[in-house]
Amino acid sequence: MRAYYQLTLAQLRIFLRNRQVLFWTLAFPIFLMIMLGSFLGNGNGISLTVAVVDQDKSEQSKVLVEELKKNKAISIEKSSDEKDMLQQLKDGDLQLVVTIPEGYGKSVGAGGNAEPFKLPVYYNETNLTVSQVGLQLVNNAVDTISKKQVDYKPAVVTDSKGVEALNLRYIDFLVPGIVAMMIMSNNMNGVAGQISSWRERGILRRMQGTTLKASTFIAAQITARFMLNGLQAMIVLGVAWAVFGIEVRGSWLTVIAFVTLGTLAFMAIGFIIAGIAKTPESAGPIAGFLSFPMLFLGGVFFPIKDMPEFLQPIVQILPIAHLSHALRETMNVGASFMNLGMEAVILGCWLVGAFIAASFTFKWE
Amino acid sequence: MESLQEIIKVQGLVKRYGDFTAVDGSEFSVHKGEVFGLLGPNGAGKTTTLEMLVGLRKPDDGTAMVGGFDITRELDKVKEVIGVQLQSTTLFELLTVEEILHLYGSFYRDHISIPDLIEDMLLTEKKDSRIKGLSGGQKQRLAIALALVHDPQIIFLDEPTTGLDPQARRTLWDIILRLKDRGKTVVLTTHYMDEAHVLCDRIAIMDQGKLIALDTPGELVKNLQSDSAVEFRFDEEADVVLEEIEAVKQVGSQKDVHILYTDDLQKTLTSLIATASEKELKLVDLQTRTATLEDVFIHMTGRRLREG
Repeated sequence: MRAYYQLTLAQLRIFLRNRQVLFWTLAFPIFLMIMLGSFLGNGNGISLTVAVVDQDKSEQSKVLVEELKKNKAISIEKSSDEKDMLQQLKDGDLQLVVTIPEGYGKSVGAGGNAEPFKLPVYYNETNLTVSQVGLQLVNNAVDTISKKQVDYKPAVVTDSKGVEALNLRYIDFLVPGIVAMMIMSNNMNGVAGQISSWRERGILRRMQGTTLKASTFIAAQITARFMLNGLQAMIVLGVAWAVFGIEVRGSWLTVIAFVTLGTLAFMAIGFIIAGIAKTPESAGPIAGFLSFPMLFLGGVFFPIKDMPEFLQPIVQILPIAHLSHALRETMNVGASFMNLGMEAVILGCWLVGAFIAASFTFKWE
Repeated sequence: MESLQEIIKVQGLVKRYGDFTAVDGSEFSVHKGEVFGLLGPNGAGKTTTLEMLVGLRKPDDGTAMVGGFDITRELDKVKEVIGVQLQSTTLFELLTVEEILHLYGSFYRDHISIPDLIEDMLLTEKKDSRIKGLSGGQKQRLAIALALVHDPQIIFLDEPTTGLDPQARRTLWDIILRLKDRGKTVVLTTHYMDEAHVLCDRIAIMDQGKLIALDTPGELVKNLQSDSAVEFRFDEEADVVLEEIEAVKQVGSQKDVHILYTDDLQKTLTSLIATASEKELKLVDLQTRTATLEDVFIHMTGRRLREG
C-alpha cells in the first residue's frame, strides 16, 4: 500500500516537473477548441445555396421564388443558364438547382384537377445529407404553394416550438469531442511512450529487482494518470465555459463516470502498445496509427452520421466514438447514465479486453 | 572453507540465447561476509550470471540458493534479502535523491533510515537535487544506496565503477569495504584487475561462459608460478621460438605483443636481448613488471581482459 502511494506520488511529481509536456498536452486541445469554435462555432451547421433557373418568368414563378427565399437556411442564386448551374452543382459550389420550366405559371394558374406540375430539382448524390435537407426545404415551399392553390385547410397542424436548451451550436458538439480526444491521446499515446521509454532506459528492470509487484506499479500508474487527466478535462471544460458558455446539462457524475471509463480503456490500449513496441521510437508511430483514424472517424470533429455508409461498421466499434457520443449526450442533452448503458457497456468491453491483452503483452524489459 | 557459511550456492547455471551459450554450467559458492568478484572480459557471462542470481533472467538449466532460498522457486524471498545495482540503469530523472530513496524504500516491507543512508553514501549535500543533475559518481553512489535501502544481507553490484574517474572509483571502493566491515556479503563484477585485487576476498575468473579459476587474488597470482613478466614487441614479423629463451616458464602472445613469464628476470632479459641481436630484430616497447591478475587471465585464456 505504501508502494502504491509512493509510486502515485512519484508519477504525479514527474508529471508536474515535466512542464513542457504538461503545457502542450493542455495547450493543444484548448487551442484546437478555440480555433474551431471561433470559426465554426456560431454557424447552424448546414448552409444551402440553391440556384433557381426561372425559364417561365411568370407571376406564379415569382411567388415560388419568394416562398423559397422565406427560408433563412437557403440562400438563393438566380440564373438563366441551367447548364452552368448544373456544372456548379457537380463541382459542389451549389447544393441544389431548381428549374422552373416554361408553362409552370399556366399550369399552376389553371388549377383544378389537372395532373400536378412536375418541378425538376437537381441535386448531387455525393453530398446526400445536405441534399436531403435541401430537398425537404424545397418540398416545403412547393407544398405551401400547392396548399394555397387548392385553398387547403389542414385538419391537424404541428405546433413546433424551438427548445432553447437544444438549440445546439457546433461548439456544443465540439467540446465533448475535444475532451474525448484529449483522454485518448494523453492516455494511449502517453502510456505507450512513457512505459516503452522507461523500459528502454532500464527503469522498469531495476524495479523488477525489488519486491514490487507489477500490479501495484500499474495501479499507481493508472491512479496518477487518472488524477492528471481529470484535472485537464476540468480545465478544458472550464475554458469552454468561460469562452463559449458551454455547460454540462446532465449530471457531473455521469461525465466523471465516462471520463473514468475512457481513461481506463485508452490506458489499457496504451499498455498494449507499450508491450508491442520494441523501442520508444516505434511506440509513437504505432500510437499515431491508431489515434489518427480514431480522431477523424470517431466523431470528434464531425458527426458520425456524416461518415460514408461503408465506414459505419468500423466507426461503430471505435471506443472513441462511444466516449465522445456519451460525453455529448450528457453535456448537451443531459442524458442520464442509464440512457447511455450501451456506450458504457462497449467502453467496458474495450477496457476489460484491452487489460487482458495488456497483461499478456506487458514486459518489464 | 571449514567454518565458513555458504550464503550463495550456484549449481550448474546455464543460460542460452539461441545457439549462443552465455553461461555454461557455472558452479561456485560465496561465503557470508566476503567480497566476491566475478572477473572477465566483456561477454564472458559475468552480468548474465549475476542477473540470473537476482532473478532478472531465468536460467535454462541449474539453479542457485541465495540467502537460503532457491532462485527458481522462491524468488520473492530472494528479493527480500538481496540488494541490486545494475549496469547502466537510469532512474527517474525528475525525482530528487531523497524522493527516490523513499520510493524504493516503499517497495519493501521495511527500510532503514533514509537520512542515515544518504549520509553514509556521501549524498547529504545532494539530497534535494534532482537525479538529472548528479555526476557519474554521485549517480553510482545513489544506485548503491537504492540497493541498500531495505538493509539486505547480500549486495550485488554489476560493474560499479565502470566509467568513473579515479577519484570517484576510490570513493566507491571505500564504500564497498565499509559494507564488508558491517558484515554484508558483496558480489561484484568488474573487468578492472586493480579493483578486483583491492576489493575482493576471492575472485572467480570467467571466460566465454565458463568459470576457469576461483581463488584469492594472491593465490591466483602465485599459481602463475612466475613473479615477473616481460612485455615487448618486435618491430617486424619475426620467427623466434620464444619458449627457448632462458628461464621462461610461460609465453603469452597476443597479436604482436609478446609476454614472457619468468622467475629469473635477469637471465630472461639477457637471453632475449642476445636472441634479438643475433636475429637482427629490434625490440620495441620493452617493459618488465611483477605478474598481476591480468597475467593470470592472459595465461589462462591467451587473451587480455580488456581487448584493444
